[in-house]
This record gives sequence, structure tokens and C-alpha cells, in this order.
Amino acid sequence: MVLEPVLDECGSCTPAGNGAGRDLGPDELTAGHNGGLTALAAGQNGGGATLTSNRPFGTLVGGLDIGSATGKAVVLGDGEILGSFVLASTANPRQTAQIVMDQAIEEAGLGSLDELDYIVSTGYGRLQIPWANENLSEISCHARGAHWMGPTVRTVIDIGGQDCKVISVSPDGKVLEFVMNDRCAAGTGRFFESMARGLCCGLDGISDLANQGPEPCSISHQCTVFAESEVVTLVNEGVELPNIIAGINRSVASRITSMARRVGVIPEVALTGGCSKNAGLAAALEAKLNLSVVTLPNDPQIAGALGAALFAADKHLAQVA
Amino acid sequence: MSAQDAWRIFAEATRSLGNPEIDAWKAQGGKVVGFFCSMVPDELFTAAGILPFRMRGTGSTSTELADAYFTPINCTFPRHAFNQALLGEYDFLDGMVCINSCDHVRRVYDNWIQALDTPFVHVMSLPHKVDDPQVGWYHDDIAVLKEKIEGQFGVEITGDRLDEAIRLHNRIRALQKELYQMRRAERPPITGVQALEVMVAGTALPRERYLELLEEVVEEARTAPGVDGYRARLMIVGGELDDPEYVRIIEEQGGLVVTDSTCFGSRLMWEAIDEEDPDPVRSLARYYIQERPSCPRMCGDQPRRLAYVRDLVNEFRVDGVIAERLMFCDQWLVEHYMTGNDLKADGIPFLALDREYILSGTGQLRTRVQAFLEAIKGTSVTIRAGAQSLA
Repeated sequence: MVLEPVLDECGSCTPAGNGAGRDLGPDELTAGHNGGLTALAAGQNGGGATLTSNRPFGTLVGGLDIGSATGKAVVLGDGEILGSFVLASTANPRQTAQIVMDQAIEEAGLGSLDELDYIVSTGYGRLQIPWANENLSEISCHARGAHWMGPTVRTVIDIGGQDCKVISVSPDGKVLEFVMNDRCAAGTGRFFESMARGLCCGLDGISDLANQGPEPCSISHQCTVFAESEVVTLVNEGVELPNIIAGINRSVASRITSMARRVGVIPEVALTGGCSKNAGLAAALEAKLNLSVVTLPNDPQIAGALGAALFAADKHLAQVA
Repeated sequence: MSAQDAWRIFAEATRSLGNPEIDAWKAQGGKVVGFFCSMVPDELFTAAGILPFRMRGTGSTSTELADAYFTPINCTFPRHAFNQALLGEYDFLDGMVCINSCDHVRRVYDNWIQALDTPFVHVMSLPHKVDDPQVGWYHDDIAVLKEKIEGQFGVEITGDRLDEAIRLHNRIRALQKELYQMRRAERPPITGVQALEVMVAGTALPRERYLELLEEVVEEARTAPGVDGYRARLMIVGGELDDPEYVRIIEEQGGLVVTDSTCFGSRLMWEAIDEEDPDPVRSLARYYIQERPSCPRMCGDQPRRLAYVRDLVNEFRVDGVIAERLMFCDQWLVEHYMTGNDLKADGIPFLALDREYILSGTGQLRTRVQAFLEAIKGTSVTIRAGAQSLA
């Protein structure tokens, strides 16, 4: 179950319910979130199936990835994904965590948090979750999650809301090395949100493969603020939108390629994080890296939460052993 | 005076620019001269009876005033240090010696003489290579600074006085090194936070007074039970790192910093100045250009710097190296890239971090260090919010 950040008509990315700086009530979450409605309505009516009495799994664990832009939760039962949920982050990481985990638990057909044997949190909000048993860095979690989805993956490129990272993974899924961008929105979800605002095309417009023009513009500024000005200049010079969009994706792909070369790109390469949904970026990265990015069988946005859940399962099994 | 008092004085001197010891020094008519960069031979000031104070930007919260002179793509260290000067925080200085250690720091000189009326402001010319001709060059430049100090402060820096100052600074170096070498133990007597406090305080206190305090601290460390329960032994490699809080965040993630190669760290004291040369100015020139561990602004000397880092990694049984760099520093950017590749070939985990001079982006710092420790130790580190330092 996925809730995407809502895009208003000008394409600026607004957190659900325009709720920046305040807490969100569950009621507000339903507005404007396709796909989120059913689960939330079910939860509000108290009608979510409660299978508490009939626990069919030996090990039930949860993984939480509270990122800067979205919160993600995964519930695993005996190594199988039973439920997952993604939601635009609220200003309160605890609340974000509570909502996504409650929804993932419901999707898993469980009754409450108490049924989970172990919970690992990750992401920028990972220290804020009092009911998580432990926290781990998102680097370890993305590597683990991506490797679970695609065991042949050796390089993970995670592009999140406020950072991007390239992680080199061993054949057994351990982090060998990683590199992250620093102090800068360039090459992150925030960058695309800013560009979408400048182009009034929405994040979908930037992602759409049909919008990737044949002659990508050169976007020379890595700085998000200046790049947005540059894009506005291009728009006002009458440059065709698809060529600007292709230029934006190419500029980010170029930056990420430099980072990836620092670590060393070993196939197969997987994209995770929210920006993995940007098909235009994926295509631009494939062109720059001169290889195909592997298609993961599960939602790559939940890779971090999945990895956290997999570590939680390890921890629980070690405890009961 | 107990070791506890010494630690308090060190911690206080590290976390502010002025300190009560400087106040007392000034009250007795003592002079204080600030100097940028560890390549300035501060023994000269000690020989002249002047307190040498290593320039920092400690306590700064903004570069608002300095940014009229600098730009946002200049290094944040000189911007914060100069901002502090513009705010009057350096009014206790009777002089300031700048150096072309890098172009950002060098420009502090140009801006300083325009904006401030410090009685004595001088800029040194540091060569870029480490061969014999450069020793001769630096010898002459040190001699020029010596004459300027003598003229400005009405003192004669005789050979005997300079010899005495060198012996005092060497004695400090020897004790600092002894303290560092105790950290080779399984249970090091001090944390990385404490080590940096010791080193920074050594550039901010009257040196004879500092030596007394250092003796207390070293004496206590000889029998200290030591730090236990850490997850990995770390080394920090980098440049102008004077903020113990930065090290604290690294140590809060569970890694203990056991050694370093930084501008306020081991490079200041790992080697001693020759006390036998009949020309002490020549001793100083040879020490600063050729004998002390060099910094990346010196050309063609990377193999020696790498060997220094490798030796410390082995000697201190380092599990991972954290390379810190102030943003926009091209010297350290290239150095870390080279060192990282070489250490990785040795199988030594290496993490390169960018930072700004004042502590910021601590969430990003925590994430990187935590991930680094997880990668070193096979993902077994738990971090609790508000974790205490290891000390």
C-alpha cells in the first residue's frame, strides 16, 4: 500500500493535508491519497480484520524507515512480506511511524503492534521511535532489503528525499562500502520536487518516459536553488519541456554516476528509495552507467524498511535461540 | 592542582577563545599573538616571552560579518575565525600572524589589515615543497618574523632563549605523545574527545602553565582504568579539527577514537625539534618543512603522509579510519581520495566525511558513522538516542 506525496496542480510537492509543521490526524490522510483510502477507511471503521487470536506465523517482525520525505513500514512473517505502507512524512516522526506501522500491521491482517516480536527502525527519524527495539543506519538496511529483493544485486543506488547514496554490497548482502551526498539537495527527491515546481509538470511529468526529450538541455547548476532558476530561464526561452525534463534527469544521473564510480559499479545495479519510481531518471542512469538497472520484484521504495525488518527477524531469532 | 582541575581548564580553554589563564597573563602585562596554522613556529613567540595563541573560530554561530569579505564558497574555518575577530572576540590579541597555508586562510591577512587595527599583523610565506632549498627559504622567512617580533615587542630573541623555548615545546610534545601512546592499550586511558581537549588547550594556554597541567593529566592517565565497551577503534585523519563535540558524536555511535593525524592532533607533536643544532632557526626550519609529519598542502610528500597514517593504524590497532574535511578544501579532498584507495587496498575500512567548521548536520554525521560501524562490525551496533560519551 503506497501513499505518494500529493502534487497540487502546479506540481509543487505538498505533504499530505498541507500539513507541514503540524501533526496530521488520520482523517486528513484520506484526502487526496488514491490507494490510501481503503486501508484508512477500514482502520477508521474499526473493521480491519483482527487475526490476533489465530497467529499463523512463528516469527512476526516489523521494519520502519522514517525518512525525510516519507515513512515506510514493512511487516514480515517467517520471512515473507505480509504488509507494507508508505506515507508522506508528517512533522512528527513518532506519529509518522505509528501511522505507517499501524497500516502495515492491518494489511498483514494482524491486530496490533504487540504481536510483533521485534522492530528495527531506520531512516532519519530512527532514534525517535520509543517502541522500536533497535535502530540501524539506512545504509545497512537498504543494502539488506535490496539484496533480499534481488540476490544478484551488488550495487544499490538509493535516492531518497534528502540524500542519495551508492552502496557496494557483498554477495551475501553485507555493506562493503558506501558514498553519500552531503549538505545538498542536488540529486535527491527535493531536487526533483523543486524542478517540478519550476516546470509546473508534477513529479509524474518528470518521470514519464514520453517526456524524455531527444535533445536534453544542459543543466549546469548542481545547486537546487540555482538549478531551478536555470530551469525557469530555459522555460522562458521557449525550450521544449521534454528537453528540459530530459536535461534534469541527465544532470542528476551524471552526479550519481560520479558518486557510483567512487565506490565502483559492480553489476547488477538496483535503484531504491522514492526516486527509484522516476522512470526518466532510471533511463538516464542506465545511459550514463552503460548498463541495465535491475527491476526488483517488490516496491523499491520499501527496501530500507524491508531491510530493517529482515534485521529484526535476525535479532528475534538470535534472542529465542 | 589536581588532574581534575587540569581537565576542567583544558575543556574550558577548548570551548572558548579567551580563557582565565589568558586573562591572568594579560593582567600581568603579558602579550598574546594569534597565529593561523600549525606550520607557524610558535616557539619564536615563547622565546620572546609572548603567549602564542592558535587561531580558531570557537563559539562562532554565524559568518554574517565575515561574509562581506568572503564568499559562501570559501572555507568556513577562516570565515568563522574572522567573524569572531570582527565581533571583537579576538581583542585580547596584541598581534596576529597569518600564513599561506591555503588561499582561504591567507586571505584572512588581507581582510584583517583592512578591517581591524591589531598592532602587529604579519603574513608568513610557507614553501610548497619539502626539499633542502625550501628549508633555506623557510629559515629566511622565520628569521624575518623573528626580527619583526623583536622590533614590535622590544625584545631580543637570543639563541639561548630560542633553545630554551624549543626545549619547553619539545617537553610538551613528549608528554602529549606519551599520553597518545597510552591509547594503544586495549583500554585507552582517555577518549578521543579528551585527547582533542588536551591538544587544543596546548595551543591556548601559557606554555609553562600548560606543561604543569599536562603533567597532572599524564600522571593520572598512567594508572587510569581505561575506556571499555567500545565497538571499534577509530582513527581520524584530516585538517583543522578543533571541536571535541564533533568527536563526541562519532564516539556516541560506539566507536572510540584512539589516534589521529590532524592539524590539532598527533602531527603537532609526533616528532621533536632538534635541540643540538647551533642555529636554532635552522632547527625550526628543518622541523617544520621536513621533519614533522606533513600536511597535504606540501607537494610531492603524499607517500610519507600515507606511511605515517599506516604506521599509526598498525600501532594503535585501528579498525577503521574516518577522514574529515572542511567543505571546499581541495587539499584534503584529493588527499582523502588517495589515502582512501590506499587504505582500502590494505583492507582498512575508510569513511570520508565533509563538514562545516561549526558543528551542523549532526543527523547526517550520525547516520554515516553508524553505517560505517555497522559495516566494520557486520551490522551489530545499536544506537540509543542521547547515548552518553564513553568516558
